[in-house]
Amino acid sequence: MTNDASNELLGSVREHVVNEQPMHIVGGNSKAFLGCKLSDVDDAATVSLNNHVGVVNYEPTELVFTARSGTLLSDVVQTLKQSGQQLPFEPPQLPGATLGGTLACGLSGPARPYGGAARDHTLGVRVINGKGELLRFGGEVMKNVAGYDVSRVQVGAYGTLGLLLEVSLKVLPLPETTLTLAFEQNEHDTTPMVQLARRFLPVTAAALIGRTRYIRLAGSDAGVQAAAKELGGERVVDNEPWQGLRDLNHEFFNDPRPTWRISCADYTPALTIPNDEDGQPAKVLYDWGGAQRWIKTSLASHALFEIAANANAHATRFSTAMNNEPSHQPISGVSARLQRELRTSFDPLRLFNRSRFHPELDS
Amino acid sequence: MSRLEKRQEFANQLRALVPQGQVLQSDEDLRPYESDGLTVFKASPLVVVLPATVAEVQAVLKWASKNSVPVVARGAGTGLSGGALPHEEGILLGLAKFNQILELNSEHGFARVQPGVRNLAISDAARPHGLYYAPDPSSQIACTIGGNVAENSGGVHCLKYGLTVHNVLAVTVVTIDGELVTIGAMGCDNAGYDLMALLTGSEGMLAVTVEVTVKLLPVPPVAKLVMAAFDSVESAGDAVGKVIAEGIIPAGLELMDSPAIKAAEAFAHCGYPTDAAAVLLCELDGTQAEVEAQIGRVSDVFNACAATQLHTAQTEEERLLLWKGRKSAFPAVGRLSPDYYCIDGTIPRRELSKVLSRMDELSKEFNLRIANVFHAGDGNLHPLILYDASVEGETERTEQLGSQILQLCVEVGGTVTGEHGVGVEKINEMCVQFDEATLQQFHSVKAAFDPVGLLNPGKVVPTLQRCAEFGALHVHHGQVPHPDIERF
Repeated sequence: MTNDASNELLGSVREHVVNEQPMHIVGGNSKAFLGCKLSDVDDAATVSLNNHVGVVNYEPTELVFTARSGTLLSDVVQTLKQSGQQLPFEPPQLPGATLGGTLACGLSGPARPYGGAARDHTLGVRVINGKGELLRFGGEVMKNVAGYDVSRVQVGAYGTLGLLLEVSLKVLPLPETTLTLAFEQNEHDTTPMVQLARRFLPVTAAALIGRTRYIRLAGSDAGVQAAAKELGGERVVDNEPWQGLRDLNHEFFNDPRPTWRISCADYTPALTIPNDEDGQPAKVLYDWGGAQRWIKTSLASHALFEIAANANAHATRFSTAMNNEPSHQPISGVSARLQRELRTSFDPLRLFNRSRFHPELDS
Repeated sequence: MSRLEKRQEFANQLRALVPQGQVLQSDEDLRPYESDGLTVFKASPLVVVLPATVAEVQAVLKWASKNSVPVVARGAGTGLSGGALPHEEGILLGLAKFNQILELNSEHGFARVQPGVRNLAISDAARPHGLYYAPDPSSQIACTIGGNVAENSGGVHCLKYGLTVHNVLAVTVVTIDGELVTIGAMGCDNAGYDLMALLTGSEGMLAVTVEVTVKLLPVPPVAKLVMAAFDSVESAGDAVGKVIAEGIIPAGLELMDSPAIKAAEAFAHCGYPTDAAAVLLCELDGTQAEVEAQIGRVSDVFNACAATQLHTAQTEEERLLLWKGRKSAFPAVGRLSPDYYCIDGTIPRRELSKVLSRMDELSKEFNLRIANVFHAGDGNLHPLILYDASVEGETERTEQLGSQILQLCVEVGGTVTGEHGVGVEKINEMCVQFDEATLQQFHSVKAAFDPVGLLNPGKVVPTLQRCAEFGALHVHHGQVPHPDIERF
């Protein structure tokens, strides 16, 4: 399906701007569990991108893919696959997820430390800003230094710097061979994964789950087989746990407590996380070679933010529970001032997704 | 107050903030700072300040902010778009004294360096640990990491290893009001907006960088270079697309046309086939097993695309020699002609044949020779227009031709600058590439960091008034000084 709803969307945003009415920007609503709901924005209008769909431009030999933001991520993945290509940042394929929502939330999967993040592969965007203006940044070429790199800043901004209409991404070939190795080791010790990152090997994912370290190798068959021989370990037949880690449906996530993500340097030692009030210990899973830690705990948000801050890291809640509390590590000081001004420059009235991302930038 | 009085007054006030000898004001002391690598633009600042500590940078910027004095930051001055051109009513902030590698952490794969450290110095320091800093602009022997951050520099290996923005973890910057803030993180991302992406490539318009933390990557165990010759530029261009379609991402993939090949061969004696219409240099790196597998596949592709000659460098010396020819192509072409002007556009790769044949027509129309070197993997084109400034009217014709080439790049869906930046040089062309609302948004982004507009004023983003006056494309004539430094 393909449909260009740019004009309708522009009209709709302009109308809300004139009326100073806040807007929720919604794609497939697959990531409704992200962000918080602090201010009273019940009167906010919903602007849906579901009808703004389709591939705009895709030439496999250019390694560039452009599509409208409401395009289903599953369709994007399928289209690329037919040409032997992929999104190198391996985004979560949540049911109903759209390309725009994926970029707006800036989500990247297990390949992130080795293949780059969503922002790293973003080449250009078309957006509507909070003044109701249609803008175009970047383009469809790999190298482009004309003007500030606004395209990348839009990634992970939760729509608060503009409503994404269209994105152009750098795509890459699918690997010829992928295989996963498993190794036994001590719990909570990321050192072996950190050491591996200093070696030149075709590693595309590394995770530590309990006492098992999983390493994924991908690339040319000859290179992958040679690396596998060098590393040893046990071959994992079903190539897991990557799909489960990518889509947040690995059995680790079945624990009913809220999910937290802490992003830190991969070499950060195991974080000390107090038990829940009822004495239940937190559970931790290490992805991204140790740089992304998934945590299951019932601790209050401020406790997680404090743990992260003490480790020069930042925490994000991936759960609808407690969504009357901030979900993203609060920002302060000079950085907060700059970010608040940046938000103002794109959306002076705070009409897009008010308070959902960093409420401290909206007050 | 006269200009001289103002200069004296500024110098006196600044000497209260930094040691005596770090404030320059005499004409002869200011001269080296009059221009960057684009020497056609020259301006004398009121004063040059050379701070040696972060506290001094903060003090100078606070002073500038309080007194509304424009500030232009400068690294090694190798930039090619006039980004470090001084402001006549302002101060030039030279960061050359910030030349220390503060920490090289081989265990965790990063280096914390001051902005005046040369790009190549980082890799030189890391190499004994089996690591290196990936972006390798051809001027890497001289250019500094602070300038690389300002320009988002690439290099011949950026198709596979990315640009500066992909290889920097964090920067510490001083804002125009003198506040110190660290942006980015030692992990994979940071809280809030991605200011790291915004600052990279911002050409000194948003803040002054005083420290940079870069990623260090393991050195690939094996690197091999395949050279393929073709009897038309078009078939070489097609071969590039077919390598990519094979699912191979070479570490570097460079194309030269006949004039560039001949010039480079005469200059570097590296063994290029001078009878070829085009040469592709394709570097493959990785583990022994990977590289061997890929060389076979790439060679098959080149043969299928009717390569007239195919050669794999047999030794490391030969590989480096073949690269030397490519990296010195510009000074080499410079020997064919009294003057040359470099264009820096990027195009979608599929348009290469069309753009090259159109350029050929333009070359004949304007009666000016064009040599081409091309970062073929990522579509970044560097046409070189050869001309003689002493022939009346030739400079103007060169400007017009350059302008047409840039228009062509935008027409086919590309950009007016792939890696050299806008600076002052391409500020008018920004009017062609972006509409008013987008330019206005750029101004708002600038104002978020620098509300009064004191950092590098007048660069990168044209005022709407300027665009209205400009009305049509115009490209300034430029020359590259220091032809001994490898470029592009």
